[in-house]
Amino acid sequence: MSELTDKQLLRELRLRLEERKKFDNEMKELSKDFQSVTKKLKESEALKSHFISNISNEIVNPFTSILGLSKAILSVEKNDWKKVVSMVALIHSEAFNLDFQLRNIFVAAKIEAGEIAPNITKVNIRSLAQTVIDSFNIISRKMGIDIDLQFNVEYGFGKNFYFKTDSEKLKLILSNLINNALKYSYKDSKVIVKIWVDEDILNISVQDYGTGISEKNQKIIFERFKRLDSGINSINRGHGLGLSITKSLLDVLGGKIEIDSKKGEGSTFSIELPEAKNVIEGFSGDGNDVFFDDDDEIF
Amino acid sequence: MENRYLQHFLYPSSLFVNKEPFVIKTILGSCVAICIWDKKLKFGGMNHYMLPNWNGNDLASPKYGNIAIDKLIERMFYYGSNRKDLVAKIFGGGELLEASTGNSMMIGERNIRVARLMLEERNIPIVASSTGGKRGRKIIFFNDTGEVRHKFLEKKVY
Repeated sequence: MSELTDKQLLRELRLRLEERKKFDNEMKELSKDFQSVTKKLKESEALKSHFISNISNEIVNPFTSILGLSKAILSVEKNDWKKVVSMVALIHSEAFNLDFQLRNIFVAAKIEAGEIAPNITKVNIRSLAQTVIDSFNIISRKMGIDIDLQFNVEYGFGKNFYFKTDSEKLKLILSNLINNALKYSYKDSKVIVKIWVDEDILNISVQDYGTGISEKNQKIIFERFKRLDSGINSINRGHGLGLSITKSLLDVLGGKIEIDSKKGEGSTFSIELPEAKNVIEGFSGDGNDVFFDDDDEIF
Repeated sequence: MENRYLQHFLYPSSLFVNKEPFVIKTILGSCVAICIWDKKLKFGGMNHYMLPNWNGNDLASPKYGNIAIDKLIERMFYYGSNRKDLVAKIFGGGELLEASTGNSMMIGERNIRVARLMLEERNIPIVASSTGGKRGRKIIFFNDTGEVRHKFLEKKVY
Protein backbone atom coordinates (compact mmCIF):
# COMPACT_ATOMS: atom_id res chain seq x y z
CA MET A 1 0.00 0.00 0.00
CA SER A 2 1.20 3.44 -0.81
CA GLU A 3 1.60 6.06 1.86
CA LEU A 4 -1.00 8.79 1.87
CA THR A 5 -0.27 12.32 2.87
CA ASP A 6 -2.53 13.85 5.49
CA LYS A 7 -4.14 15.96 2.83
CA GLN A 8 -4.90 13.01 0.62
CA LEU A 9 -6.19 11.09 3.56
CA LEU A 10 -8.51 13.91 4.54
CA ARG A 11 -9.80 14.20 1.03
CA GLU A 12 -10.41 10.50 0.79
CA LEU A 13 -12.27 10.51 4.09
CA ARG A 14 -14.38 13.45 3.04
CA LEU A 15 -15.25 11.71 -0.20
CA ARG A 16 -16.30 8.59 1.62
CA LEU A 17 -18.33 10.60 4.06
CA GLU A 18 -20.17 12.30 1.24
CA GLU A 19 -20.77 8.99 -0.46
CA ARG A 20 -22.11 7.65 2.79
CA LYS A 21 -24.42 10.61 3.17
CA LYS A 22 -25.78 10.04 -0.30
CA PHE A 23 -26.60 6.44 0.50
CA ASP A 24 -28.15 7.49 3.78
CA ASN A 25 -30.41 9.90 1.96
CA GLU A 26 -31.36 7.29 -0.55
CA MET A 27 -32.17 4.87 2.24
CA LYS A 28 -34.33 7.47 3.90
CA GLU A 29 -36.18 8.14 0.66
CA LEU A 30 -36.71 4.47 0.05
CA SER A 31 -37.96 3.73 3.52
CA LYS A 32 -40.35 6.66 3.20
CA ASP A 33 -41.63 5.20 -0.08
CA PHE A 34 -41.91 1.84 1.56
CA GLN A 35 -43.92 3.16 4.45
CA SER A 36 -46.28 5.04 2.21
CA VAL A 37 -46.87 1.99 0.03
CA THR A 38 -47.50 -0.17 3.08
CA LYS A 39 -50.06 2.33 4.26
CA LYS A 40 -51.64 2.37 0.83
CA LEU A 41 -51.83 -1.40 0.75
CA LYS A 42 -53.59 -1.50 4.08
CA GLU A 43 -56.08 1.08 2.86
CA SER A 44 -56.43 -0.78 -0.36
CA GLU A 45 -57.29 -3.98 1.44
CA ALA A 46 -60.02 -2.21 3.38
CA LEU A 47 -61.30 -0.59 0.21
CA LYS A 48 -61.30 -3.90 -1.56
CA SER A 49 -63.62 -5.49 0.96
CA HIS A 50 -65.84 -2.45 0.61
CA PHE A 51 -65.64 -2.95 -3.11
CA ILE A 52 -66.86 -6.51 -2.88
CA SER A 53 -69.91 -5.51 -0.92
CA ASN A 54 -70.49 -2.63 -3.33
CA ILE A 55 -70.13 -4.82 -6.33
CA SER A 56 -72.50 -7.47 -5.12
CA ASN A 57 -75.10 -4.77 -4.51
CA GLU A 58 -74.33 -3.45 -7.92
CA ILE A 59 -75.09 -6.76 -9.57
CA VAL A 60 -77.59 -8.35 -7.26
CA ASN A 61 -79.92 -5.38 -6.91
CA PRO A 62 -80.52 -4.80 -10.61
CA PHE A 63 -81.08 -8.52 -11.12
CA THR A 64 -83.57 -8.67 -8.31
CA SER A 65 -85.49 -5.77 -9.81
CA ILE A 66 -85.37 -7.23 -13.29
CA LEU A 67 -86.61 -10.59 -12.09
CA GLY A 68 -89.33 -9.07 -9.92
CA LEU A 69 -90.53 -6.70 -12.60
CA SER A 70 -90.63 -9.28 -15.36
CA LYS A 71 -92.56 -11.61 -13.10
CA ALA A 72 -95.00 -8.80 -12.41
CA ILE A 73 -95.41 -8.19 -16.12
CA LEU A 74 -96.21 -11.84 -16.70
CA SER A 75 -99.08 -11.70 -14.28
CA VAL A 76 -100.53 -8.39 -15.43
CA GLU A 77 -104.20 -8.42 -16.39
CA LYS A 78 -104.89 -7.62 -20.02
CA ASN A 79 -106.64 -4.34 -19.31
CA ASP A 80 -103.76 -3.14 -17.15
CA TRP A 81 -101.31 -3.04 -20.04
CA LYS A 82 -100.37 0.57 -19.35
CA LYS A 83 -98.60 -0.53 -16.21
CA VAL A 84 -96.37 -2.68 -18.36
CA VAL A 85 -94.80 0.29 -20.09
CA SER A 86 -93.46 1.78 -16.90
CA MET A 87 -92.25 -1.60 -15.69
CA VAL A 88 -90.44 -2.22 -18.96
CA ALA A 89 -88.84 1.19 -18.62
CA LEU A 90 -87.59 0.20 -15.18
CA ILE A 91 -86.28 -3.10 -16.46
CA HIS A 92 -84.48 -1.27 -19.20
CA SER A 93 -82.81 1.19 -16.88
CA GLU A 94 -81.72 -1.57 -14.47
CA ALA A 95 -80.36 -3.66 -17.32
CA PHE A 96 -78.62 -0.63 -18.80
CA ASN A 97 -76.94 0.07 -15.51
CA LEU A 98 -75.94 -3.54 -15.07
CA ASP A 99 -74.49 -3.70 -18.56
CA PHE A 100 -72.55 -0.47 -18.02
CA GLN A 101 -71.09 -1.59 -14.69
CA LEU A 102 -70.13 -5.01 -16.01
CA ARG A 103 -68.38 -3.40 -18.94
CA ASN A 104 -66.35 -1.29 -16.50
CA ILE A 105 -65.45 -4.27 -14.38
CA PHE A 106 -64.34 -6.34 -17.37
CA VAL A 107 -62.23 -3.50 -18.70
CA ALA A 108 -60.62 -3.06 -15.27
CA ALA A 109 -59.81 -6.77 -15.23
CA LYS A 110 -58.30 -6.50 -18.70
CA ILE A 111 -56.18 -3.50 -17.72
CA GLU A 112 -54.93 -5.28 -14.63
CA ALA A 113 -54.06 -8.34 -16.70
CA GLY A 114 -52.06 -6.22 -19.14
CA GLU A 115 -54.25 -7.20 -22.04
CA ILE A 116 -55.36 -3.78 -23.11
CA ALA A 117 -54.20 -2.29 -26.40
CA PRO A 118 -55.51 0.56 -28.49
CA ASN A 119 -57.64 -0.49 -31.42
CA ILE A 120 -57.44 2.50 -33.71
CA THR A 121 -60.02 3.36 -36.34
CA LYS A 122 -61.42 6.53 -37.83
CA VAL A 123 -64.16 7.52 -35.47
CA ASN A 124 -67.06 9.82 -36.18
CA ILE A 125 -66.83 11.79 -32.96
CA ARG A 126 -70.16 13.53 -33.22
CA SER A 127 -72.14 10.37 -33.70
CA LEU A 128 -70.17 8.60 -30.97
CA ALA A 129 -70.95 11.38 -28.50
CA GLN A 130 -74.59 11.42 -29.56
CA THR A 131 -74.88 7.64 -29.16
CA VAL A 132 -73.43 7.77 -25.66
CA ILE A 133 -75.67 10.67 -24.66
CA ASP A 134 -78.73 8.94 -26.11
CA SER A 135 -77.98 5.83 -24.13
CA PHE A 136 -78.42 7.88 -20.96
CA ASN A 137 -81.67 9.41 -22.23
CA ILE A 138 -84.05 7.44 -20.08
CA ILE A 139 -82.07 8.08 -16.91
CA SER A 140 -81.57 11.77 -17.60
CA ARG A 141 -85.22 12.27 -18.49
CA LYS A 142 -86.26 10.59 -15.27
CA MET A 143 -84.06 12.99 -13.31
CA GLY A 144 -85.21 15.98 -15.36
CA ILE A 145 -81.66 16.66 -16.50
CA ASP A 146 -80.97 18.05 -19.91
CA ILE A 147 -77.77 16.84 -21.53
CA ASP A 148 -76.61 19.56 -23.87
CA LEU A 149 -74.07 18.56 -26.55
CA GLN A 150 -72.03 21.50 -27.81
CA PHE A 151 -70.07 20.27 -30.77
CA ASN A 152 -67.61 22.97 -31.77
CA VAL A 153 -65.50 21.46 -34.49
CA GLU A 154 -65.32 23.94 -37.32
CA TYR A 155 -63.00 22.37 -39.80
CA GLY A 156 -63.14 19.01 -41.48
CA PHE A 157 -66.42 17.91 -42.89
CA GLY A 158 -68.50 19.70 -40.34
CA LYS A 159 -71.04 17.21 -39.17
CA ASN A 160 -68.88 14.28 -40.12
CA PHE A 161 -65.74 14.96 -38.21
CA TYR A 162 -63.50 11.90 -38.08
CA PHE A 163 -60.72 11.40 -35.57
CA LYS A 164 -58.32 8.46 -35.29
CA THR A 165 -58.77 6.85 -31.93
CA ASP A 166 -60.22 3.79 -30.19
CA SER A 167 -63.99 4.10 -30.33
CA GLU A 168 -64.85 1.51 -27.68
CA LYS A 169 -62.47 3.03 -25.16
CA LEU A 170 -63.60 6.56 -25.89
CA LYS A 171 -67.22 5.44 -25.47
CA LEU A 172 -66.49 4.00 -22.06
CA ILE A 173 -64.55 7.11 -21.01
CA LEU A 174 -67.40 9.38 -22.04
CA SER A 175 -70.01 7.07 -20.50
CA ASN A 176 -68.20 7.15 -17.19
CA LEU A 177 -67.95 10.94 -17.22
CA ILE A 178 -71.61 11.38 -18.10
CA ASN A 179 -72.68 8.72 -15.62
CA ASN A 180 -70.80 10.54 -12.85
CA ALA A 181 -72.18 13.89 -13.90
CA LEU A 182 -75.73 12.54 -13.71
CA LYS A 183 -75.10 10.70 -10.48
CA TYR A 184 -73.92 13.77 -8.65
CA SER A 185 -76.36 16.24 -10.23
CA TYR A 186 -79.43 17.61 -8.54
CA LYS A 187 -82.82 17.00 -10.09
CA ASP A 188 -83.93 19.34 -12.87
CA SER A 189 -80.54 20.74 -13.73
CA LYS A 190 -78.34 20.21 -16.74
CA VAL A 191 -75.15 18.60 -17.94
CA ILE A 192 -73.09 20.21 -20.69
CA VAL A 193 -70.88 18.11 -22.95
CA LYS A 194 -68.48 20.25 -24.99
CA ILE A 195 -66.32 18.92 -27.80
CA TRP A 196 -63.65 20.90 -29.60
CA VAL A 197 -60.33 20.37 -31.33
CA ASP A 198 -56.98 22.11 -30.76
CA GLU A 199 -54.46 21.20 -33.43
CA ASP A 200 -54.41 17.38 -33.26
CA ILE A 201 -55.94 17.20 -29.84
CA LEU A 202 -59.53 16.30 -29.21
CA ASN A 203 -60.99 18.00 -26.15
CA ILE A 204 -64.10 16.86 -24.39
CA SER A 205 -65.49 18.39 -21.25
CA VAL A 206 -68.44 17.26 -19.18
CA GLN A 207 -69.87 19.84 -16.83
CA ASP A 208 -72.50 19.38 -14.16
CA TYR A 209 -74.11 21.67 -11.61
CA GLY A 210 -74.21 19.10 -8.87
CA THR A 211 -72.60 18.59 -5.51
CA GLY A 212 -69.04 19.38 -6.57
CA ILE A 213 -65.82 18.06 -5.09
CA SER A 214 -63.66 19.77 -2.49
CA GLU A 215 -60.05 20.47 -3.39
CA LYS A 216 -58.78 17.90 -0.96
CA ASN A 217 -60.95 15.20 -2.46
CA GLN A 218 -60.05 16.08 -6.04
CA LYS A 219 -56.71 14.46 -5.44
CA ILE A 220 -58.03 11.10 -4.39
CA ILE A 221 -60.97 10.49 -6.68
CA PHE A 222 -58.84 8.75 -9.28
CA GLU A 223 -57.72 6.09 -6.84
CA ARG A 224 -59.21 2.71 -7.38
CA PHE A 225 -62.19 1.65 -5.30
CA LYS A 226 -62.23 5.10 -3.75
CA ARG A 227 -65.61 6.71 -3.33
CA LEU A 228 -66.12 9.92 -1.50
CA ASP A 229 -69.29 8.74 0.15
CA SER A 230 -68.23 5.20 0.78
CA GLY A 231 -70.34 4.60 3.84
CA ILE A 232 -72.86 1.85 4.28
CA ASN A 233 -75.55 4.50 4.16
CA SER A 234 -74.29 6.06 0.98
CA ILE A 235 -77.14 7.11 -1.28
CA ASN A 236 -75.28 6.82 -4.53
CA ARG A 237 -74.46 3.54 -6.12
CA GLY A 238 -71.20 2.63 -7.70
CA HIS A 239 -68.04 0.68 -7.13
CA GLY A 240 -65.44 3.41 -7.25
CA LEU A 241 -63.73 2.07 -10.33
CA GLY A 242 -65.14 4.45 -12.92
CA LEU A 243 -62.56 7.21 -12.71
CA SER A 244 -59.53 4.97 -12.28
CA ILE A 245 -60.64 3.05 -15.36
CA THR A 246 -61.13 6.31 -17.21
CA LYS A 247 -57.63 7.36 -16.27
CA SER A 248 -56.08 4.05 -17.30
CA LEU A 249 -57.90 4.09 -20.62
CA LEU A 250 -56.65 7.60 -21.26
CA ASP A 251 -53.16 6.33 -20.45
CA VAL A 252 -53.52 3.74 -23.18
CA LEU A 253 -54.59 6.41 -25.63
CA GLY A 254 -51.98 8.93 -24.50
CA GLY A 255 -54.58 11.33 -23.13
CA LYS A 256 -55.06 13.38 -19.99
CA ILE A 257 -57.88 14.27 -17.63
CA GLU A 258 -58.40 17.33 -15.44
CA ILE A 259 -60.96 18.38 -12.89
CA ASP A 260 -62.26 21.81 -12.17
CA SER A 261 -64.69 21.83 -9.33
CA LYS A 262 -66.02 23.81 -6.42
CA LYS A 263 -67.88 22.22 -3.58
CA GLY A 264 -71.55 23.00 -3.97
CA GLU A 265 -71.26 24.45 -7.46
CA GLY A 266 -70.62 21.43 -9.65
CA SER A 267 -67.71 19.92 -11.49
CA THR A 268 -66.16 19.95 -14.93
CA PHE A 269 -64.11 17.01 -16.08
CA SER A 270 -62.05 17.72 -19.20
CA ILE A 271 -60.13 15.23 -21.25
CA GLU A 272 -57.47 15.79 -23.89
CA LEU A 273 -56.90 13.10 -26.44
CA PRO A 274 -54.13 13.24 -29.06
CA GLU A 275 -54.95 11.81 -32.47
CA ALA A 276 -53.49 8.32 -32.83
CA LYS A 277 -50.83 7.80 -35.45
CA ASN A 278 -51.07 4.99 -37.93
CA VAL A 279 -47.42 4.20 -37.79
CA ILE A 280 -45.54 3.69 -34.61
CA GLU A 281 -41.98 4.69 -35.27
CA GLY A 282 -40.10 1.79 -36.81
CA PHE A 283 -43.18 -0.37 -37.17
CA SER A 284 -46.01 -0.03 -39.59
CA GLY A 285 -49.47 -0.39 -38.16
CA ASP A 286 -50.28 -3.65 -39.92
CA GLY A 287 -46.96 -5.18 -38.94
CA ASN A 288 -45.75 -5.84 -42.49
CA ASP A 289 -42.37 -4.27 -41.95
CA VAL A 290 -38.99 -5.69 -42.63
CA PHE A 291 -37.44 -6.74 -39.41
CA PHE A 292 -34.15 -8.16 -40.48
CA ASP A 293 -32.03 -5.05 -40.61
CA ASP A 294 -28.31 -5.47 -40.98
CA ASP A 295 -27.58 -3.27 -38.02
CA ASP A 296 -29.73 -5.23 -35.60
CA GLU A 297 -27.87 -6.54 -32.63
CA ILE A 298 -28.79 -10.02 -31.57
CA PHE A 299 -29.20 -11.10 -27.97
CA MET B 1 -38.79 -18.09 -42.19
CA GLU B 2 -40.70 -15.00 -41.21
CA ASN B 3 -43.94 -16.46 -42.36
CA ARG B 4 -44.38 -18.96 -39.64
CA TYR B 5 -44.51 -16.23 -37.07
CA LEU B 6 -47.56 -14.41 -35.90
CA GLN B 7 -46.92 -10.87 -34.82
CA HIS B 8 -47.77 -8.94 -31.74
CA PHE B 9 -46.99 -5.31 -31.04
CA LEU B 10 -46.65 -4.87 -27.32
CA TYR B 11 -48.01 -1.61 -25.98
CA PRO B 12 -46.74 0.00 -22.80
CA SER B 13 -48.45 -1.32 -19.64
CA SER B 14 -49.36 -4.58 -21.27
CA LEU B 15 -47.85 -8.03 -21.36
CA PHE B 16 -47.99 -10.94 -23.77
CA VAL B 17 -47.27 -14.64 -23.45
CA ASN B 18 -48.12 -17.28 -26.02
CA LYS B 19 -47.17 -20.86 -26.75
CA GLU B 20 -47.39 -20.34 -30.51
CA PRO B 21 -44.36 -18.88 -32.30
CA PHE B 22 -44.76 -15.13 -32.22
CA VAL B 23 -42.57 -12.17 -32.94
CA ILE B 24 -43.24 -9.71 -30.18
CA LYS B 25 -42.13 -6.17 -30.87
CA THR B 26 -41.98 -3.06 -28.84
CA ILE B 27 -40.37 0.35 -28.55
CA LEU B 28 -38.66 1.45 -25.37
CA GLY B 29 -37.52 4.72 -23.91
CA SER B 30 -37.23 4.85 -20.16
CA CYS B 31 -39.61 1.89 -20.03
CA VAL B 32 -38.20 -1.56 -19.47
CA ALA B 33 -39.20 -4.76 -21.26
CA ILE B 34 -38.38 -8.19 -19.90
CA CYS B 35 -38.31 -11.07 -22.34
CA ILE B 36 -38.79 -14.30 -20.54
CA TRP B 37 -38.15 -17.63 -22.21
CA ASP B 38 -38.68 -21.24 -21.25
CA LYS B 39 -35.64 -23.10 -22.56
CA LYS B 40 -37.31 -26.48 -22.18
CA LEU B 41 -40.76 -25.83 -23.62
CA LYS B 42 -39.39 -23.29 -26.12
CA PHE B 43 -41.86 -20.47 -25.70
CA GLY B 44 -41.87 -17.13 -24.00
CA GLY B 45 -43.40 -13.76 -23.41
CA MET B 46 -42.65 -10.15 -22.74
CA ASN B 47 -43.83 -7.28 -20.58
CA HIS B 48 -43.37 -3.55 -20.98
CA TYR B 49 -43.62 -1.42 -17.88
CA MET B 50 -43.30 2.31 -17.44
CA LEU B 51 -42.66 2.85 -13.74
CA PRO B 52 -40.82 0.77 -11.14
CA ASN B 53 -43.32 0.37 -8.34
CA TRP B 54 -47.06 0.48 -7.97
CA ASN B 55 -48.13 3.49 -5.96
CA GLY B 56 -51.24 1.83 -4.57
CA ASN B 57 -53.56 4.35 -6.24
CA ASP B 58 -54.15 3.35 -9.83
CA LEU B 59 -55.42 0.04 -11.03
CA ALA B 60 -52.82 -2.60 -10.21
CA SER B 61 -51.79 -2.96 -13.83
CA PRO B 62 -48.52 -4.04 -15.47
CA LYS B 63 -47.73 -0.37 -15.98
CA TYR B 64 -45.68 -0.91 -12.82
CA GLY B 65 -42.57 -3.08 -12.74
CA ASN B 66 -43.24 -4.94 -9.54
CA ILE B 67 -46.65 -5.98 -10.86
CA ALA B 68 -45.60 -6.58 -14.46
CA ILE B 69 -42.73 -8.89 -13.52
CA ASP B 70 -44.78 -11.13 -11.25
CA LYS B 71 -47.66 -11.23 -13.71
CA LEU B 72 -45.31 -12.25 -16.52
CA ILE B 73 -43.81 -15.07 -14.47
CA GLU B 74 -47.25 -16.18 -13.30
CA ARG B 75 -48.44 -16.32 -16.88
CA MET B 76 -45.47 -18.53 -17.78
CA PHE B 77 -46.38 -20.88 -14.93
CA TYR B 78 -49.95 -20.90 -16.15
CA TYR B 79 -48.71 -22.21 -19.51
CA GLY B 80 -46.78 -24.96 -17.78
CA SER B 81 -43.29 -23.57 -17.18
CA ASN B 82 -41.06 -24.59 -14.34
CA ARG B 83 -39.14 -21.87 -12.58
CA LYS B 84 -35.80 -23.59 -13.22
CA ASP B 85 -36.32 -23.51 -17.01
CA LEU B 86 -36.88 -19.77 -17.20
CA VAL B 87 -34.30 -17.29 -18.40
CA ALA B 88 -34.73 -13.55 -18.82
CA LYS B 89 -33.37 -10.79 -21.01
CA ILE B 90 -33.89 -7.19 -20.06
CA PHE B 91 -33.94 -4.12 -22.26
CA GLY B 92 -34.60 -0.41 -22.03
CA GLY B 93 -34.41 1.96 -19.11
CA GLY B 94 -32.72 4.78 -20.98
CA GLU B 95 -32.72 8.32 -19.66
CA LEU B 96 -34.16 10.28 -22.53
CA LEU B 97 -34.99 13.39 -20.58
CA GLU B 98 -32.06 15.68 -20.08
CA ALA B 99 -30.42 16.30 -16.75
CA SER B 100 -32.93 14.67 -14.52
CA THR B 101 -31.16 14.61 -11.22
CA GLY B 102 -32.41 13.76 -7.79
CA ASN B 103 -34.10 10.69 -6.55
CA SER B 104 -37.56 11.32 -7.81
CA MET B 105 -36.37 11.12 -11.39
CA MET B 106 -34.02 8.59 -12.94
CA ILE B 107 -36.98 6.48 -13.92
CA GLY B 108 -34.98 4.42 -16.38
CA GLU B 109 -32.40 3.56 -13.75
CA ARG B 110 -35.05 2.64 -11.19
CA ASN B 111 -36.92 0.56 -13.75
CA ILE B 112 -33.80 -1.47 -14.42
CA ARG B 113 -33.04 -1.85 -10.76
CA VAL B 114 -36.44 -3.34 -9.98
CA ALA B 115 -36.01 -5.83 -12.84
CA ARG B 116 -32.62 -7.07 -11.63
CA LEU B 117 -33.73 -7.21 -8.02
CA MET B 118 -36.94 -9.09 -8.60
CA LEU B 119 -35.49 -11.56 -11.10
CA GLU B 120 -32.67 -12.35 -8.69
CA GLU B 121 -35.11 -12.88 -5.85
CA ARG B 122 -37.11 -15.23 -8.02
CA ASN B 123 -34.02 -17.14 -9.14
CA ILE B 124 -34.42 -16.37 -12.79
CA PRO B 125 -31.06 -15.74 -14.45
CA ILE B 126 -30.59 -12.71 -16.69
CA VAL B 127 -28.79 -14.13 -19.71
CA ALA B 128 -28.59 -10.92 -21.75
CA SER B 129 -29.36 -7.27 -21.36
CA SER B 130 -29.04 -3.89 -22.96
CA THR B 131 -30.04 -1.18 -20.57
CA GLY B 132 -29.47 2.47 -19.76
CA GLY B 133 -27.95 4.99 -22.10
CA LYS B 134 -29.61 7.99 -23.66
CA ARG B 135 -31.35 6.45 -26.63
CA GLY B 136 -34.57 4.60 -27.23
CA ARG B 137 -34.64 1.01 -28.40
CA LYS B 138 -36.59 -1.15 -30.77
CA ILE B 139 -36.91 -4.75 -29.64
CA ILE B 140 -38.04 -7.82 -31.55
CA PHE B 141 -38.41 -11.02 -29.57
CA PHE B 142 -38.83 -14.42 -31.19
CA ASN B 143 -40.65 -16.31 -28.49
CA ASP B 144 -39.84 -19.79 -29.80
CA THR B 145 -36.06 -19.44 -30.12
CA GLY B 146 -35.64 -16.85 -27.41
CA GLU B 147 -33.69 -14.65 -29.78
CA VAL B 148 -33.96 -10.89 -29.41
CA ARG B 149 -33.09 -8.41 -32.12
CA HIS B 150 -32.32 -5.00 -30.84
CA LYS B 151 -31.65 -1.65 -32.39
CA PHE B 152 -31.05 1.81 -30.99
CA LEU B 153 -33.29 4.58 -32.21
CA GLU B 154 -31.83 7.83 -33.30
CA LYS B 155 -34.76 9.93 -32.29
CA LYS B 156 -36.46 9.58 -28.99
CA VAL B 157 -39.98 8.28 -29.13
CA TYR B 158 -41.46 7.61 -25.75
